Amino acid sequence: MDKPSGRLVRSHCVGTTAVVYASDYLNKLTGEKIERECRRQLDSGCRGLVIDFSDTQLVNSIGISILLGIIDVAEKSGARVAFSEVNHQTIELFEMLGLTRHVLLAKDEREALLNLSNYEATHIVH
Amino acid sequence: MNKRSSSENFRRILGRVTQYDFVGRGEELNRIMAHAEPANTGRGLLLLMEPSAGVSELLRQAYDQIFNQRSDVIPIYFAFTRHETTAVSAAIEFLNTFLQQYIAHRRDEPVVSHSTLTLHDLVELAPPADLEWIQQLVDSYARLRFSNDDKALVRFCLGAPQRVPRSRGRLMIMLDGAQLAEYLNGVVILGTEVLRVFGRGGFTFVLAGLRRQILSAAHEAKCNFELLDILRLQQLDVEQAALLVDHVARRQHVAISEAARDLLVQQFAGNPFFISIFLQAAREKNASLTSYLDCQRLYVDELLGGHLHRHFAELLEEIAPRIDTRHLLIRVLWEAVAGEDQISTFEIWRKRLHVTAGELQEILHRLHVQEFINWDQGIIEAGVGPQPWKDYLKVRYRLDVLNDPRALVVADALADSLKRAPHTMARHYKQIASGGLRELINRFNCQRVPSVLLDYATFSRKYKGAESDTIAAGLEAEPDLLKLPQTVHLASCVALDSDMRQLSDEDRCLVAHTFEDGAYSDAQEVIWLTADIESKLEVDVDVARVWCDRFDTLAANLGFSRYQIWLLSNEGFSEEAGRLLGRRKAFSSSRHQLALIAERLGESVSDPVVQSTEANEFLMVVPMGEDNELIAASTAEQIARRLMFRPEAINQIKTAVVEACINASEHSFSPDRKIYQRFRLESDRLVVTISSRGIVPANLNGASSGLETSEAAEERRGWGLKLIRTLMDEVEFERVDDGTSLRMTKYLRQSSS
Repeated sequence: MDKPSGRLVRSHCVGTTAVVYASDYLNKLTGEKIERECRRQLDSGCRGLVIDFSDTQLVNSIGISILLGIIDVAEKSGARVAFSEVNHQTIELFEMLGLTRHVLLAKDEREALLNLSNYEATHIVH
Repeated sequence: MNKRSSSENFRRILGRVTQYDFVGRGEELNRIMAHAEPANTGRGLLLLMEPSAGVSELLRQAYDQIFNQRSDVIPIYFAFTRHETTAVSAAIEFLNTFLQQYIAHRRDEPVVSHSTLTLHDLVELAPPADLEWIQQLVDSYARLRFSNDDKALVRFCLGAPQRVPRSRGRLMIMLDGAQLAEYLNGVVILGTEVLRVFGRGGFTFVLAGLRRQILSAAHEAKCNFELLDILRLQQLDVEQAALLVDHVARRQHVAISEAARDLLVQQFAGNPFFISIFLQAAREKNASLTSYLDCQRLYVDELLGGHLHRHFAELLEEIAPRIDTRHLLIRVLWEAVAGEDQISTFEIWRKRLHVTAGELQEILHRLHVQEFINWDQGIIEAGVGPQPWKDYLKVRYRLDVLNDPRALVVADALADSLKRAPHTMARHYKQIASGGLRELINRFNCQRVPSVLLDYATFSRKYKGAESDTIAAGLEAEPDLLKLPQTVHLASCVALDSDMRQLSDEDRCLVAHTFEDGAYSDAQEVIWLTADIESKLEVDVDVARVWCDRFDTLAANLGFSRYQIWLLSNEGFSEEAGRLLGRRKAFSSSRHQLALIAERLGESVSDPVVQSTEANEFLMVVPMGEDNELIAASTAEQIARRLMFRPEAINQIKTAVVEACINASEHSFSPDRKIYQRFRLESDRLVVTISSRGIVPANLNGASSGLETSEAAEERRGWGLKLIRTLMDEVEFERVDDGTSLRMTKYLRQSSS
């Protein structure tokens, strides 16, 4: 079910995983909106976050630093983060700044949700 | 109709520049013109000026305007000059000038105002209706001239305007350089005599002189202060001073860059006299001023032998006519500037200068009037005065007292002034950035604002990342309001404790004396200790703790029983810092919160704007902020496509341009808030240069920024540059006087094109 929060950040929940959609340009302003939404979802009990970059054309370093902050917060909440539909260019940037070490990368939202549920299952088994 | 076209029929008589080129003193000119109106008949206007604040052209422009109005007001302008050595000769010159200008106005012949004419010539030129009283005046003068009664002669000459029949019109007499009148030898103190005659003469006058002198002369002359108005003439503000530099440079055909212009404005502290003579020197030496080096080379030349040198040398010669005393005086003054013995006593000065008490009084009086010292009873505070004066003292001290080789003094002076230039500009930019805070605190007057605006942790939790209308609605609904106190006095921390300079710039750390509810009692008195911390990211707990500790110490040392700490930072404070500030009951705000408070108090934090021009390449100037880096990125994309870069390479260029723009915005305290972009296409490469004006960030020149940033902050701040270096083939910071300029090159390769 779609659950808009704020004018620009779309999100919805699938079970205990929230899917948050990044906008076309990830900078300080839009990054903070995503951060706000992710925090809200974590506070509501979500155990997984999928940030979808299908609309994202360009990211800057401030936006990336905010994503790192989101990953930190998620880890502290015991939640896992996946990025979906990240374009090649953006993946390069994430790699340069070491972001890809901390998240699961998926080609689309469905795969991201699947990866997170697999991870959760594995995590519980172990 | 603009000023230029409206002045086409305007006759320039005494003005040395056109109306169009007369900039910076519009308000003062209006005030003088208003003084000429009938309602002010019989009133005097004392124009109290800071030394070298430039009054002559103001009065000359006023003269021209009044003359051109052809109303019943008859303007008279007289300047006391150093050429007149006695009170008698100055008074006679006044009589001559008065008659000449009176007749010029009556005949509507401006040329008469500045012709060389004898009294006999003037009688012949007098209009028939005025012939009788002018003839009588000249006859009386001739009798008195040889009567050996100098005092009577001086009073007669100064009182000449009283002879004009009322039916001829209303006189408006403007006296310029009245400070010189005190030093004229003779039987009377001319300055006091002028005020005595004019203060009781019943006609309208303006007397311009040094502020420290003219008021005491008015008291000396027992003037009726109910008939005197006062206009204070200070140095030009930054905007007006920059305009003056532009106008004078254009008039003198001196090429000047914006950075050099702004440096001159700061270095001369908006002093129109220094600015004008400096640009005049540039013209005389055919020097262009397109870099800091150009400016400082000329500046040092000026200090050692140009107009600046002559100005200060003449003043020093008047202050201490004997050369041996002058050298001792230079030594005493320079040592005070250098930080030794700034506060001293009359007796110590007398011993150091080897002069009598009377001689010293004369020297101190003249230094005080010129504001080179502050002399109050027996205490003398030296080490004050404008920067050029301090630099002049230093070079004279080294040349005249230490006998250092001239070439070495020149080299050192040039190196010192060059090293100082970036600091001068940095101080200015920081003042601009902190100006809003000072104004804001000054406006505290028991208004109520949401408490959350002074609590970053709560604000961040509730509103960070929220839409502006969401924030506005949230703040409106905030139940917890804080009643601000009433600010009665605001000062820099540095003014109260010079050690605070180690921690912060003068204008970024403020002490406000306030009263809660505007009730003036001990119980309601609260001292607000405010610091605007320079940081690109959230301030961490260590920095917050240092500030709280320092303020606690300051409050204890100064005996502040109740105080409130308020820390500010662009991006707010880390969670840990927030908890600490909560425990210490300190307020904290980000720049965003500050803007919201300002909005509630009806004030905005302003950004200055200037222009830029360039040619022969793809050039673009965009304002900082508002995602304008995307416009730059889009332009870069279009240009890169022309060179047939592959999509991946184009994306890399775009990202690098975005990062460079963000860097330029984040790091600069930019005075114009603009990003300058240059795209140069070459056969095998695209060269993009992104520049901005402002302060060079510490992490670019290798200097440590000390308290202001933590290691993690430094690391994250460097991400932009790291990305740029990875994405582009060559990255280089170009040397510029003011701000930063980053040049990035991307090569067109077979594999990538």
